Amino acid sequence: MGRLLALWNKEWIALARDVHGLAALFVMPAAFIVIMSLALSDAFKDEAGRPAEFAVLAADGPERAARLAQKLEGDGFRAVPAPANESAARAGVRQGKPALALLVPRDFERGLRVPPDRTNPAQALTLLVDPALPPAQLAVFQHRVLGTVLGLRLAAAIPIPGVLDDAGAFDLKRAATLSVEAVGNPRAGRPSSVQQNVPAWLIFGMFFVVMPISSLFIVERREGTLARLASQQVPFSLLLLGKVVPYFLVNLGQAALMLLAGRTLVPWLGGEELALPARWDLLAAVTASASLAAIGWGLLVAACARTMEQATVIGGVGNILAAAIGGIMVPRFVMADRLQTWVDLSPMAWALDGFHAVMLRQGAAADVLVPCLKLLSLAAALFAATLWAHHRRRAVIRA
Amino acid sequence: MLSVESLSFRYPGSSEAVLQEVTLDIPDHGIFGLLGPNGAGKTTLISILAGQLHGATGRVAIGGEPLDTVRRRRPHCLGLVPQECAFYPMLTGMENLRFFGGVQGLRGARLKQRVEHVAGFARIEGVLKRRAGELSGGLKRRLNLAIGLITEPRMLLLDEPTVGVDPQSRAFLLDSIRSLAGTGRIIIYTSHYMEEVQALCDRVAIIDGGRVLVSGTLAELLRDGSGSMRLRLRAPLPDALAADWRTRYALRADGAAEYQLRVPAAMAVAQVIEAAQAAGCEPIAIDYGRRDLEQLFMQLTNRSLRD
Repeated sequence: MGRLLALWNKEWIALARDVHGLAALFVMPAAFIVIMSLALSDAFKDEAGRPAEFAVLAADGPERAARLAQKLEGDGFRAVPAPANESAARAGVRQGKPALALLVPRDFERGLRVPPDRTNPAQALTLLVDPALPPAQLAVFQHRVLGTVLGLRLAAAIPIPGVLDDAGAFDLKRAATLSVEAVGNPRAGRPSSVQQNVPAWLIFGMFFVVMPISSLFIVERREGTLARLASQQVPFSLLLLGKVVPYFLVNLGQAALMLLAGRTLVPWLGGEELALPARWDLLAAVTASASLAAIGWGLLVAACARTMEQATVIGGVGNILAAAIGGIMVPRFVMADRLQTWVDLSPMAWALDGFHAVMLRQGAAADVLVPCLKLLSLAAALFAATLWAHHRRRAVIRA
Repeated sequence: MLSVESLSFRYPGSSEAVLQEVTLDIPDHGIFGLLGPNGAGKTTLISILAGQLHGATGRVAIGGEPLDTVRRRRPHCLGLVPQECAFYPMLTGMENLRFFGGVQGLRGARLKQRVEHVAGFARIEGVLKRRAGELSGGLKRRLNLAIGLITEPRMLLLDEPTVGVDPQSRAFLLDSIRSLAGTGRIIIYTSHYMEEVQALCDRVAIIDGGRVLVSGTLAELLRDGSGSMRLRLRAPLPDALAADWRTRYALRADGAAEYQLRVPAAMAVAQVIEAAQAAGCEPIAIDYGRRDLEQLFMQLTNRSLRD
């Protein structure tokens, strides 16, 4: 433990004296948060024109669901394949994929053909809604559903002889009821500029630990310090652990500061105040997972790069690319459909999904499980790759 | 005693061996010098002994026990002072000493005591609060040495520890290293500076092209049994005498009135001096039966150490 403490202490001192590294870790993301939150605050307010995805889950089977979906599709609403069951539909909507899910009861269409009475009540539809969907879009979709149901009701009623003479016998108003259920935190609404930008630039800043990690590592290798430590029987795994813990704490510090910037600095400058999550434990889990992935990335770059220039190019450009395709620089929902399929390739997008699940949708543990598992798996793979890269180099020199 | 037996090593992907069947016996007292030109294999040998390179064939043992076993049992029995200033430039001298002590398991009062001791030994107490990267070249070398001594190692490997320092600092470092040469400690000192090795070491091995050319005590190596004689005269030799000596003593002119000869029989030395005096060329300086390490290296390789 004493050896580890010595390594941690050394790393802290080295980091504390690296003014440029600290600026990249703390000032840069804070500046991005403030600038982007203010610059894009208006752009984030008008999202009603964005197409929303919906799914229809019919108890009468996928064919009936597909037929109904076909009728509902269009005018800014796009049908996606029906989920397997109601719980899958709820899980999907909780993550905003799709934003809407219509649950259709058994014998829905047959019920439309008979007049509702005590034994045959109005057909009860349920609409699951992502609270992040703009209210205007929700209202439009509700009207589309009810309009479609009325159309079906009319189509069923017209062929019945004499039915049009007795409007009371075939009450169009009582064709169906539509109950709307928000899945996720009912308080959460459309992500504001600050809700998008705080987690996004926090993640970007967290992944920038690649710079100080790799620069110190390369100095250690160049100056012969690693070789000296190897001659002193300090295992490489201990050296890695000596770097993981300080940078993990740095990432936690970044998270605290960026949240603080969203709570204080952005509103002070005229932007919207960041809404804090209800589940801090989940926020900590997502932050920790993202941090380990970022540190793993830093260690791998450090182990592979031979010069400071290589580390800067690989680490810096890698981060910028991951941010560009991961919805950090340009929010995912603004991207063209074709590009949206690429978003999930970026670990930064996994982290952003996790942060949005906690901070925007006020989700539960199940909602952050997948992003966290993806990030932790990546971290494990990166640590393994670092050890492998070191082992390859160690075939020549144990340092 | 450190025994190196038939040690060979080649870097992966290279067809050429960097070390070839190196065999050395290094006593645990005095200072053992490893002398050779750049690229001779000195640093490779040191790196293998320090545990930084692996894959060498052969055997390395301390007191009959394999070095790896000894190091597993006593991880901090070895101190390395590498060619590079292998410490953290952004940390102060004190922080560097505390770090390298701490990472080797020293703590509390023992760590404090060792830091004070090695700082005093290297005379860097006055600069311990300055960042290491801001120290002069000589002070950096002293700090490098102090770090190598922090755990009071039984085996100290000094790999060209005076590279790039001013003469004053070099003299200080050599004096400091000389004072470490007590019993019970193995000290290996590599250099391509013949003067340093000659001034510092009790035993010397000359290494070139990955092979040990010669090894022994400094006195043995400097003793020249080949009859080599250097002669400086007041005036140049007459042509006739010079021609005669060229035949008899393999005379070679080394300057206007300076000559190298080979006079295998010590008895003949007097005859040579008398003949020179008779020819009116009074000898000013005579050097017989001794050579320096540079000359020895030249005799062995027909090259200069600095080539």
